[in-house]
Amino acid sequence: MSSKRKRIDNFLQFITYAAASIAVIVLSMIFIFVFRNGASLVNIDLLTNDYHAKYYNGGIEEVTEFSQTPKPNYLDDEDYYSEKWGIALSDEINREGKMVVIVTFVADDSPLLQMFDKNNLDNNDFKIEKDNIITSISFFSKNSALSMYGAKHMIGELDTVTEFREMVFSSLGGGIRGSLITTLYIIGLTLLIALPIGIFTAIYLNEFAKKNKLTNAIRSMIEMLTGVPSIIFGLMGLAVFVPLTVKYTPADSANLISGSLTLAVILLPVVIRATEESLKVVPDDFRNASLALGANSTQTTFKVVLPSALPGILTATLLAIGRIIGESAALIFAIGTAIKDDISIFGKSTTLAVHIWSLMTDEPANIELASTIALIILIIVLILNIAVKLLSRNFVKRFS
Amino acid sequence: MKKNESLFMNLKKSLSFNSKKEFVDFLVRVFFLICTIISASFIFIIIFFIAREGIKPFVTDNDGIGRVNIIRFLMGTTWLEGTVFRSNLYGVGFIIVNTVYITLLALLIAMPVGVLTALFIAKIAPKKLSEILRTTVELLAAIPSIVYGLFGSGVILKIVYDLAKVFGVQSPGGNSVLATVLVLALMILPTITALSEVAIRSVRSDIEKGSLALGATKTQTNFKVVLTSAKSGIFTAAILGTGRALGEATAVYLVAGNARSGPSLGLFQTTSTLTSTMLQGLKETIGIDYDIRFSVGIVLMIIILLTNTILNFVKRRIGKVDVK
Repeated sequence: MSSKRKRIDNFLQFITYAAASIAVIVLSMIFIFVFRNGASLVNIDLLTNDYHAKYYNGGIEEVTEFSQTPKPNYLDDEDYYSEKWGIALSDEINREGKMVVIVTFVADDSPLLQMFDKNNLDNNDFKIEKDNIITSISFFSKNSALSMYGAKHMIGELDTVTEFREMVFSSLGGGIRGSLITTLYIIGLTLLIALPIGIFTAIYLNEFAKKNKLTNAIRSMIEMLTGVPSIIFGLMGLAVFVPLTVKYTPADSANLISGSLTLAVILLPVVIRATEESLKVVPDDFRNASLALGANSTQTTFKVVLPSALPGILTATLLAIGRIIGESAALIFAIGTAIKDDISIFGKSTTLAVHIWSLMTDEPANIELASTIALIILIIVLILNIAVKLLSRNFVKRFS
Repeated sequence: MKKNESLFMNLKKSLSFNSKKEFVDFLVRVFFLICTIISASFIFIIIFFIAREGIKPFVTDNDGIGRVNIIRFLMGTTWLEGTVFRSNLYGVGFIIVNTVYITLLALLIAMPVGVLTALFIAKIAPKKLSEILRTTVELLAAIPSIVYGLFGSGVILKIVYDLAKVFGVQSPGGNSVLATVLVLALMILPTITALSEVAIRSVRSDIEKGSLALGATKTQTNFKVVLTSAKSGIFTAAILGTGRALGEATAVYLVAGNARSGPSLGLFQTTSTLTSTMLQGLKETIGIDYDIRFSVGIVLMIIILLTNTILNFVKRRIGKVDVK
């Protein structure tokens, strides 16, 4: 081999290595980016908290008996503690990236527990708790203590008085409970619609339909759906399913049902194809044996063919779930982008992916929380992918 | 009349069942058929309803604003002149140019990288490594587009912003043609790689062996014989990649900068695509500003259909010869 030939060979070899490494670099960059920005916010509270903070205005009668509890040992120097009021405050950064004063401890005998709700005097559940955010405390005879002056200032001001006019505090907010529940609802509803229609279509095409031009035409019509971009499905949802659901359900605008119907249409080709693939793998001997034993074709389909194809259908389901969790463009049109905490299937809400969209299109964009949600989505997608791989490996083993 | 009668007889005959079992069988079959018809009908529902809404701005007078001129709409260099809901001066001409331009550039980046990666996975890499790479590509394909958008606005925008500074251009936050192209290239890379790999692996091994027997090196064979034999399949990968790039919405919206006029051909200019325009500021669900999105949708579908047809035509032309 001439040395020139060798040089060219080596160069060509090198660029394939370089190209292949790009895929790896990109994947690791995405994971590192999402993890670095999002990992700090991941905890159970994020999953269980509401997105919209609830604000409370607490008033209090003049206090005569103060707290006796000393500062607990586990609080550090960053937690400013008022022994008199039995409350510890500290400066923290919330999920929107703003400085806030957060309650880190409330003593059992804190006089603050006797606060009443100024907006609703009958409210007996009214209580200041750990992890609440204090916005301001206004006093009778001096300037209000605002959260912008920090926790130390607030505690100092509190210690000099025996009563105050009003304490404005709020729950933490920024949680994704609503979007999480919506995502689960949407997954359930969409599968409920897409799976039966998809599976029955696949069975019809594979088991009953004659192999002729019409069947092929039907197949290619379904196949065409895969080439349609999801934003077009979104437009269809907006034009077809939203008016339809508004007419026949209590909903008065875009809602979870219209979103699920739209997603179901997107998923139909996925479900149909995966089911058909698994039906094709089931050997004809099974069918013939069943028919020979006197079963009719319905019995054969439901009792012999379907159970054998079950792993394939499960794969389709997992793929579908992955697609639902990641879908954003279609849902922006078909459900809307309003982040909600109280979820009703007749109301608007966001899935996790659309939640990211809402956060990113907000001014200013909240990249931290968006990355946290992205991290959750990535983990789910990862698990689904591994599950699909294991399932299909087992399935292939069974019939070969 | 007689024909009808016989048809009726036939129907009656096929509807008379010997047993309950057969009747159930028939019902189940009809039910399955209905499901199939529903599945097959959605493509028509999509076309019909989007066309119905999308044609409105051109044929009705839009609550007194007046019809949208279709020539102006297709040639326009500004999205909207005048105030929303007061003006009918919409134009998507520049957006069409932007969309095609961006897709082309993205393809220009993703094709070589994707095909070479596929070649590496299929022919060059050791078995373990190619298994890892295949999983990597699968994972990249599974990442939702909104996450690519997030990655784009968190990482790529910063890189592009710094790059623009090096060239002495002020780029608004990095939102630009280049950022959009990079994000799209990343998104279509797994599609192209996966499909090209299948194409490369299905090249008949006797062609390869023939080349080796003639004294070509392994690398020469890979590049000159394997890739040329697989080009039909590689072209299919390009077609699917193009489709995905044209239809991608949320990720593009987050990095494009959503220019209101154009076309934007400079790499550091802000831009907009058909999809990002559709996503922009949807507030009302009636009126011209709502309907016009469907018109943009029609344009997008026509462009996808056109590029598909053209690319398929080209594929048939170049796919005829197996090896040059």
